[in-house]
Amino acid sequence: MEKKFVIKLVNIDTIYEGENLPVIMDINLKVEQGEFISIIGPNGAGKTTLLETINGLLDYASGSGKVFGKEIRKNKNFIRRNTGYIVQNFEIDPLSPFLCKDIVMTGRTGRLGTFRMIGKKDWDKIWYSLGLVGMIDFANRPIGKLSGGEFQKILLARALAQQPSLLLLDEPFSNLDVSSKSQIETLLNRLHENLGLTIVMISHDLSFVPSRCSRIVVMDKGKIVMDDSKDKILKSNRINKIFNHRCCR
Amino acid sequence: MIELPLMILIPSILAAVLAGFTCSTMGTFVVRMNISSIGYAMSHAAFAGAAFGLMINMDPLITALIFAFITAFILGPISEKAKLQSNIIIGFLFSIMIALAFIFLNYIPGEAATGTALRILWGSLFSVDYNEVLLLVFLSFIILVFIIIFYKELISIMFNRKLAEASGINTKIFYFGVLFLTGFAVSISLKLVGGLLVFALIINPTSTAYQFFYDFKKILLFSPIIGIIGCMIGFYLSLLTDFPIGASIVIVSAIFFATAIIISPKRKKGNGKKVIK
Repeated sequence: MEKKFVIKLVNIDTIYEGENLPVIMDINLKVEQGEFISIIGPNGAGKTTLLETINGLLDYASGSGKVFGKEIRKNKNFIRRNTGYIVQNFEIDPLSPFLCKDIVMTGRTGRLGTFRMIGKKDWDKIWYSLGLVGMIDFANRPIGKLSGGEFQKILLARALAQQPSLLLLDEPFSNLDVSSKSQIETLLNRLHENLGLTIVMISHDLSFVPSRCSRIVVMDKGKIVMDDSKDKILKSNRINKIFNHRCCR
Repeated sequence: MIELPLMILIPSILAAVLAGFTCSTMGTFVVRMNISSIGYAMSHAAFAGAAFGLMINMDPLITALIFAFITAFILGPISEKAKLQSNIIIGFLFSIMIALAFIFLNYIPGEAATGTALRILWGSLFSVDYNEVLLLVFLSFIILVFIIIFYKELISIMFNRKLAEASGINTKIFYFGVLFLTGFAVSISLKLVGGLLVFALIINPTSTAYQFFYDFKKILLFSPIIGIIGCMIGFYLSLLTDFPIGASIVIVSAIFFATAIIISPKRKKGNGKKVIK
């Protein structure tokens, strides 16, 4: 019997609007329910493009893509409503007029759909999500006043308030100090263990791969060049060549 | 001070209150969604539209609305696709719209052309009637319903548009919804405040409220209150001094904003933008 995959990409090419060359090409990726995978690669390898292709923010030019067994192109809203997403390079204005609880509340938006207002049950889920990431005490704080690690936790709570089946995380450790990285890593491990979420995480940092992550996909120049268990990938010589070669350019 | 029977002033007072409410309420979204430049271009398009209406002897409100909506229709997608910088939009469209407005004003037929032209340039106490007041009441109602029903979507988009899209929100609909309601508010308020200054009523009260609060709900509450108070004081100042009402309202709201910047508790410590990657 054929396995059911949360993500199934076959020969995917994604081209940005107005450009001729694909940013990612010939992508074949299958992710099973409950897997925790890291997509790593140097800057410009196409990792974010891959993530945005998975949740339909970018259209693929060729190939076949399915998430939750549904074709991405025709089911963008369904996929997005069931996928928690954390974006990279987030510019936050310190004077931003939003409280943390309001940001977490926005996680319910897509899930609820238009014309339905946030009710008591939704607020219960919002508080629960804040509790999961240990940020209940921060609920009434302005979002612009948080540290990098605290901000990432609020974004995680926002994603969890959506009650997702799949979490897509774009560089969750980027620009965090070691202590914050460690806290986010612990949190991700716990969420994976307790909630059984499927997690796809992007990183350009080889030194921070959460312990619950069992598989690593390596991207370089828009292609998947390695896809294996975490131990095998981290021990391989090729991975060092990819990273050293790029960083010395 | 101009001595006038209260009955004559009632539509103008009501219009000032409602214009303060609608413009400054829409301002909370315009400022946060970073579409001030488009709104600014729309307000000048509405001004050119009103001048065009006067030239062809048509209700200036209708032509102002048409011009504002056409601008929103054209500028919205262009700024999205081409990712035009706001200063380019302002520099290009502001000059074109003002040029068009002056050409249209030049061809307004009849003896009273100068007076009419000046009224739509900087507004007039006596140019609004009960029809406009009713329109403003209708618009206020629509804006309130829009905010109540789509509050969660609007907050989501204002926080981060990409995250909102990634959650399954069709952000374009709300983006255009805000643009059109702003165009509506600007066009109806134009007669009272004047085409050159009406956009200040969108920006100033909101920017004032932003200096005091971190909670968007409070900004949403206080921005229209500040807008209404500014309009009422401006109205009184205009009666007192015979200044054009638009100029009076804008000066009062600008003083509010300048004072807010000075006493803002949010600005007590140095705050620059920080990037969390």
